[in-house]
Parts: sequence; structure tokens; C-alpha cells
Amino acid sequence: MTAGRFVSRGVLALVALVLLGAGALAADTPRRGGVLRVGNLGEPPALDAHWTTASITETLTNHIYEGLYSLDAGNRPIPMLAESHTVSRDGLTYTFKLRQGVKFHNGKEMTSDDVVASLTRWGKQSIYGKALFAQVAEWKVVDKHTAEMKLKEKSAIVLISLAVPNNFAAIYPREIAEKFPPEIKVTEYVGTGPFKLAEWKPDQHIRMIRFDEYKPRGEKPNGYGGGKTAYLDEILWIPVPEVATRVAQVETGELEFADDLNLDAYDRLRKNPNVRPLVSKPYYWLVAVFNKKEGLMTNQKLRQAWQAALDIEPIMKNVAGGKSEFYRMDSSLAPVEITAWHTKLAGLPWNERNKEKAQKLLQDAGYKKEPIRFMTTQEYKWMYDFALLTKQQLEDVGFNIDLQVVDWATLVKRRNNAKEYDVFTTGIGAFYDPTHHIYLTSSWPGWTTDEDILRLQAELARETDPKKRLALWEQQTRQFYEKVPVIRYGDLFGLRAIRNTVKGFNEKTERIRFYNVWLEK
Amino acid sequence: MTPYLLRRVLALVPVLAVVVTVVFLLIHLIPGDPVGVMLGPDATPAQVQATRQALGLDRPLHEQLLKFYSRVLRGDLGQSYFLDRPVTTALLERAEPTLVLTLASLLVAIAIGVPSGIVAAAHRGSAWDRLLMLGALLGVCVPGFWLSLNFIYLFAVRLGWLPAAGYTSIFADPVAALRYMVLPAVSLGFSQSALIARISRSCMLEALQQDYVRTARAKGLSQGAVTWIHAFRNALVPVVTVIGITTAILIGGAVVTEIVFNIPGLGRLIISAVLRRDYPVVQGVILVTATAYVLINLAVDILYVFIDPRIRYE
Amino acid sequence: MSEAAPRHAWLRRVAANRSVVVGLGILAVVVCAALVAERISTHNPRRLDPPNRLQSPSAEHYLGTDEFGRDVWSLVVHGSRVSLLVGLTTMLLTSLGGVVIGLGAGYYRRLDLLLMRVMDGLMAFPAILLAIALMAARGPGVWNVIFALSVVYTPRTAMLIRSTVLVIRETDYVQAARALGRRDLGIAFRHILPNCVGPLLVQGSFIFAYAILAEAILGFLGVGVPPSVPSWGNVIASGKNVIREAFWVSLFPGVALTLSGLSLNLLGDGLRDTLDPRLRVP
Repeated sequence: MTAGRFVSRGVLALVALVLLGAGALAADTPRRGGVLRVGNLGEPPALDAHWTTASITETLTNHIYEGLYSLDAGNRPIPMLAESHTVSRDGLTYTFKLRQGVKFHNGKEMTSDDVVASLTRWGKQSIYGKALFAQVAEWKVVDKHTAEMKLKEKSAIVLISLAVPNNFAAIYPREIAEKFPPEIKVTEYVGTGPFKLAEWKPDQHIRMIRFDEYKPRGEKPNGYGGGKTAYLDEILWIPVPEVATRVAQVETGELEFADDLNLDAYDRLRKNPNVRPLVSKPYYWLVAVFNKKEGLMTNQKLRQAWQAALDIEPIMKNVAGGKSEFYRMDSSLAPVEITAWHTKLAGLPWNERNKEKAQKLLQDAGYKKEPIRFMTTQEYKWMYDFALLTKQQLEDVGFNIDLQVVDWATLVKRRNNAKEYDVFTTGIGAFYDPTHHIYLTSSWPGWTTDEDILRLQAELARETDPKKRLALWEQQTRQFYEKVPVIRYGDLFGLRAIRNTVKGFNEKTERIRFYNVWLEK
Repeated sequence: MTPYLLRRVLALVPVLAVVVTVVFLLIHLIPGDPVGVMLGPDATPAQVQATRQALGLDRPLHEQLLKFYSRVLRGDLGQSYFLDRPVTTALLERAEPTLVLTLASLLVAIAIGVPSGIVAAAHRGSAWDRLLMLGALLGVCVPGFWLSLNFIYLFAVRLGWLPAAGYTSIFADPVAALRYMVLPAVSLGFSQSALIARISRSCMLEALQQDYVRTARAKGLSQGAVTWIHAFRNALVPVVTVIGITTAILIGGAVVTEIVFNIPGLGRLIISAVLRRDYPVVQGVILVTATAYVLINLAVDILYVFIDPRIRYE
Repeated sequence: MSEAAPRHAWLRRVAANRSVVVGLGILAVVVCAALVAERISTHNPRRLDPPNRLQSPSAEHYLGTDEFGRDVWSLVVHGSRVSLLVGLTTMLLTSLGGVVIGLGAGYYRRLDLLLMRVMDGLMAFPAILLAIALMAARGPGVWNVIFALSVVYTPRTAMLIRSTVLVIRETDYVQAARALGRRDLGIAFRHILPNCVGPLLVQGSFIFAYAILAEAILGFLGVGVPPSVPSWGNVIASGKNVIREAFWVSLFPGVALTLSGLSLNLLGDGLRDTLDPRLRVP
């Protein structure tokens, strides 16, 4: 073999390698453009982040709004619209420096006027806002890019409350925050996020388009925060209430993404060459929330009877499509994945499946078989499933359950009214701080007013030592199982489906986000 | 001809008046307080009272009726409580898919029904006749929505030839629109083709026995020519009538089909309105569909005049 | 001439008609199933049995189970009760209403103008849509379904009775009776109503069929009988969610619906052929 031939072979090989490498790189290079179609399970009750804790609202609003802080991959607060903050020596004054040159979708620059007005509104309506602002003495503008929060007492929860994505402290323009009182949902949607709302046609679609003047942060994407780039031209959120249809449409390519799918579809999705199933852990723990303000379930013994009667595992198994890998039996109020607050306490009256105890409690409660209005929806299929199965188990023990099925948006509205129901179904997602467990507050539907529980929550807000907080949290867990504000079932995992043409999707966050996501041709 | 047409149009007025009255009365059939039910649990007593006054529900019934008439005549069908927009807007947004589905199913029903009826009549008494009429019987008895589900299972799930659900506008992407329309239109149209087949058959049979047909045959025209040319044209009149009625049934059938195939039309609209207790939307949908039916029948009657020369001289 | 001979001939003709026999036969099976539902069911249709969800048909569950483990055979058998109750009651109510309105309209010209406009107006609404709207107003429940369907289908019967009345009113019997001063009600019962029986039976069979189908559609759409009551429409609706994994859940109630519809349509066709030659389709 001549030297020349050898060299040319080597050059060919080198060229091939470079091309291959370039090809591989090209596949990982984000491409601008395209429309992403996402299947939602229904209509959001609102697009006002301050107004509700509903997950659909959370997912949608986190694309068009931002808060002062966000969560990183370890679920810790990191700055988003804030540049930095300082805390006074006594821990009672927080000074926030805002980023400069951040634009709203209407072209206006974000200043501390907007921030103060938005958080004031959030502090009156949002569950997390109310918990934080209970500790706030004063919240005011210092200068164009600085705001100051003076606290009544030391707090453990300032940054985390501002970082939580659910029912979050979204920054609205001051005019909008002042125009709409906290109880009234905003109907003008202007934020600072990488996408802006183009149109909302109820029952048809919600259309978001790229906000061209968005300035991402310099850092790499980190959890929910860091740099956010909108590669997509458009996100189209389409309500598809029938879960079987939602799955089918991802399989055929009519949708690129669908969430909240029934677990029966997992095997089928795995076999499909164009689609990937994603199992999300944690998803929710199933919960039946009692109306403790008015009606039959104000009676603690009745609630305890319900808790004693339940045999949770067969319910979880049915809801998880018969597959044990999709649910987890656990009594901890924080799921396994939130390692800092996961508890392993023994002797809790969870999943007792004790019919005699339940019947005795019913007697002691003086229950005379009055119908208990149990509100649920078929839009979250697993809610309907566990409601129906619960009804049977309870009726076997002597309860009389009146199951009322409505659509999710209606349920979220009705659960605010104490005259409309006795119990409703929902799911509790991951909370990053003990004070965020909304079902332990008096402002979230269900209205937990037990003195011991509320006292412990207030102490948790004040105490800054992590070891002491954990001890308080364990106490709170025991109180939870004794006072039974809600019924904790098991942990359910979620199923999502994503087409292989969708790249850059962060599979590790609990909720879905489509910034930093692009579509392959 | 003109006096006939004029009479026909004037006859519409009382019918439409009844339609509007029925739509108006719907709210008053609700047990309990309709406003409380409509506004939902969020409403404060002040809001309920304000809405009651705005809707005129605190006035005597005949006054309310007159007010309702004047609103409808002005094209104001009220405001949707859930969708936060005028009912007319919501209706216009959803009309296209329902119209397309109804039209497509009508075409399918005619395409299956008319030839079946004619062939059955031409071969009266034969195995073909019996087979086709059996098919027609099944078409009447098999529930349309169940047929739709079976089609989905067979053609979408098992065979994967067609999409299981969804809708694309013809104006956006004609090929995709067609693919989405096949299963819905065929399952809906098949059920209706049965009636059309039966009527076509009986009309053809009658027509085939008319004098002029026998004369034509005597003159030596072949069997085929007679069948298709003369008889068909005269059988057209009753068939056109049936198509008028069929369209009404199809509009109703489209509701169910839209639910099965997740098509965003008036059917999906009325069902979600019912579940959300959004009564103005429910009223709007039935008002519009009833009016459409009345107008379609008028169109059919006018069409008659041109097809059947006998009517002209009335 | 006595009236006995024609009556017997009438009955014999009907009994000899094949459609009538087959139709009645199938209907009888359905009715029996409904009557002895408790006994021929293998399970409590409302009983959830999660470990046995989505089982295909077997010796234990003849028609399989649904997503909650409920036995489909028992659901179908019990569902026949709702269907038959709704169908029969609607048929009776529409017949009654149709006779009253049709008689009034056919006999008194002034009433005719008003009543017929109202009937025309009601018939302008597509049947299912009007039923849905009425269910929206009244709320779910069997009796509300019956009410809604009766309102929807009465106009058809009324029109039929009216045209029958119009014809008979001009006959010699009736003219003579009126000349003799007989009271209207007497004329109605003696001369007019007996002639309406035939058309009523024919129309009634078809309305029975429409009502069964309409109840199932309303149930399927979620606006009929509440989901806790076993009905064919409800079961088909729940089967839709699991059609890939368990097609039998939607399949069998649909078969039951088809058979019921078939029996009533055959009955109606047969009755029409034998009782009312005017309406015959050759």
C-alpha cells in the first residue's frame, strides 16, 4: 500500500468522523421554530396565577409569568426576576434588588412598583401568599429597582414562598394588579415570561407565542429556573377531556405531548416507535378533602370513621391500572422524593382497614345515614376511580355517600363555597416546605381550623433551625392523623407521553415546562 | 308560483314564534332558582339580584317573553357564563365543524341510500332487493354512536388506517380534514341512508308503474334507459323531501358523533354547556338548530317548485 | 252486519305477519330478561370488584368485566329495565298526549290552528337536542328522561291522530251522528277512537324504539339517567374509555340496543303492513 493511499484513506476516515460528529451535534443543536401541540385534560379554571392552586393553571401561567425567585434542580430557591437579596442581622428585613431592563409583554419595563403591587395582591389571595404575609409588617418600594419587606417575626419561609411555582407570586404590571381585586380573576394577561398569551378560546385551545424581547438569565437552565429560551414559535394547548383520545392523539402525531394519562396506556406507549412514555414521580397523593366549615363532616368522629374504614391498597392498584410500579403506599405527608421532609413514623392510623372501629366511630358520631355529598370529576380519571371505590368501601361500613360528578373547572369553583359539598377529591402534589401544605391552612377549600394544627404551622413558619423544624413537622404529622382534616390515600405516579421529535424536555421537574424545548424536523 | 312562495314564507312566522317561545320557557322549567343555578356558588346575593334584574326575571312572564323576542330579533342571544363571551360568538366559533359533518354525512347517506333504493326497486323481489332492505333495516336499528365506536375500534385501533378522533378545518388542510371526516361521516350517514333507501325504493317502484314509463317501454326504450332516465327524475321529488327531514335528524346525530370523535362543534358545545349549567348557550344552540331546520325545509319546498312542474300552477 | 267478523280477521292477519311474529318474539325475550333480571344476573351490577377489572368473557363473567370489575352481563340485564321502562312509559304518554291533542285539533277548527303551530314548532327542534335541553333544565333522572322524551315525541303522534280524525270526521257515520245531535265526546269514543287504534299501535311501536335509543344516547352523553343506575348508554360510555383493552364493555350493550330496536321496528313494520294499508311501503 502506498503512503499516498494510506493518507487518503486516513483523510476519508477523518472526514467521515467529522461529518458523523457534526451530524450528532446537529441533532443536539436547538432549532428555532415550530408549533408544539399539547393535550390538556380540560379548561383551566383561570389564567390568574394568584387566584388558584389548580395544576393546569400552574403549568400554563409559568410560561407567561415569572416570579422574583424560582426553584433549582434541588428544589431550592434561586433568583429569577430578582437580582439578589440581603437580609438584616436580626433577620427581620429583606431587601430585594431587581434585575434591570426586564420587559413586560406590553413593552413596559418591570420596576419595583409592579413587584410591590403584585405581591400585595398575591399576599391577599394565594394560600402561600397569605401564609407569608401573615408575618409581614410592611412591604414597600425603596427605589425603581429595589423593594423592602419588613417582618413581624423571624421567618423560615420568605424565599421559598416566593419561589414556589404553584399559586405563585407572579409579577403583573402594577395597573393590572391594582385593577383586579384579589378575589376577582384577572382577565388581562401580561407577564414577563418567555411566551405570551396570543389567544384563549375556551374548549378549543390556548395559544402562546414566543415573546421576542425576552432576555434570559445568563446561567444554564437549572430546575425550573436559570436561563429560559423559547425556541418554539408557538405552543398550542388543546383541551382533550377524554383520556383515551388524548393518548391516541399523541400516538398518531396529532399532539406532540399529553399529560395526565391513564396508566393502562403505558405498555402500548412503550411499543410505539414514535412516542416515549414518561413516568412522573411524584405525581400526586390522592386526597379526599372534608368541608370543615359547615355540614356533616365538621364532626371529627365521622372523619375518623372514614379514615378507619378504608382499605387503601386495592384502590391504589385499580387507579394505577393494576400495575404496582405505578403507585406507592406511604403515610408520610411529604413524598419520598422530597427528602428533607419525608417522615417514617410508626403507629399512625393510616390504612387501618378496621371496619369495627369505623362502625363504632359512626355510632359515637351520632350518624343517622344522612347522605354525604362527595364531589368528584371524570376529567382526572383517577379522581373518579378512587371516589367510586371509596364510596363502595364506605357504604359497606354504613355510610351513605351521594357521589356528584362535575367537570374540573366547576369543581374548583364550587369547592370555594361551604354550602355546596361535604367532601371533594383532588391530588396533593409535592410541597417543598412544610408551611406550604395547603390542606393544613384555614384559607384553602376545606378550611382546616384545628387549633393545634394551625399553631404548629405558625411555629414552622417562625422556626429557622432545620432540626427543630423536622421535629415540629413530625408532631404535625401525628396531629394530622388524629384530627383528620383530609384523608391521605397513597402516592400515584403519573404518565406522560412525548413524541420523539420533541427535544430538550426536562424530565426531572415535577411539572411540565416547554421553554428550552425545540422540535426536530 | 310567487303567491305560493309568499304563503310558504309567511307560514314560517308562527312556527318560529313557537320555537322562540319554547326556548324562552326552558329556563322556567328549572326547579329552584335559575339565576342561582346559572351564576353558580361564587355569586354573592347582590350579584344574583343584579343578574335577576338584568335578565328581567323579576318581571311578569308575558313581559319577559316580549323582551326575549325583541332580544332574539336583534340577534342578541345573551352571554355565556362559562365562556365569558356572547352566545352568538360561541355559536359562530363552533358552527363550521358541525356544518361540515352534517353535510358530509348527508352526502354519504344519499350516496348509499339512493342507489340502494333504485337498485332494490329495479330488481324488486330478488335476493338483491331483500339484502338491501335488510341492510336498511339494520341501518335504522343499529345505534349510530355505537357504530362509531365499532368503526374506531376496527379502523383506527386495530387497523390504524384512520385517526381515532379529532378535526381539522377543510380550509386549513383539505387532505387531513378528509381523513378525520371519514369515520364520523360514514357512521352517521349510514344510519340515515336506511330511510333514504326505503323511500327511494318505494318512489322508484311507483314511478316505474306510471303510464308514461309503460309508454316509453312500449316505444322500445331499453329497460336500463327507462329506469335511469324517466323514473329517476320523477322519484326525485319525494327523495328531496326526505333529505329535508334527514338533515334535521343529522343535525341531532351530529351532536353524539362529535362527542365520540372529539370534534369541536355545536354538539360538544351544548353538552359542556349542560354539564356546566350554562343555560344561555343551551338555549342558543337549540334556537339556532331549530331555525336552521325550518329554513332548510323552506329551501326544500322552493326546490320542489323547480323540480315538480305540477306545483307551479297551484 | 256485526262487528265481530272484521275484528277477528284483523287479528288473524296481524298474527300471520312474519315481521310481527319475529318482532314480538325478540321483544318478549327482552321483556322477560328485564322482569327476571335479579334471577338471571350472576353478580350485583353495581358491585365494584377492582382485582377483576377488564376481564374478557369467561365462565365466571359471561360478557366480561368493566374497568371497575363490574360484571357486564349483569349490567346489560339490569339495563334492560331502564330501557323498557323509559320506552314503554314514553310510548304510553305520547299516545295519550297525541290522542288528546290530535282529537282537539282535528275536531275543532279554531284549536287546530293554534295546536298545529305549536306542534310544528316543537318538531322543528332536532329530537335529541330538545331532549338534551330539557334534561339540562330538569336535571338527571329516569322520570326527567321520560318527561323530556314524551315532550319530544308527542307532536308526531298528535299529527297522526289529527289526520286520522280529519278523514273520519267527514264520513257518513260521523255526519249522521252530528246531525242527530250526539255529543262530541260520544262521537269521539264511538267512531273516531276505534279507528285510531291501528295507527296508534304502529306509531307506538316506533316511538318505543326511538325512546329506547334516545335514552341510551342521553346516557352515553352523560345527561340521562345518573351513572350509578345501570343503563345501556352509561355502560357503553364507560366502555369507550377502555375500548382498546376491553372492547366487550361497549360491544354487548350495543348488541342489546340493536336487538331491542330491531324487534320494535319489525313489529311496527308488520303492524303497519297489516293494519294500515295507506301507510304501506310496497
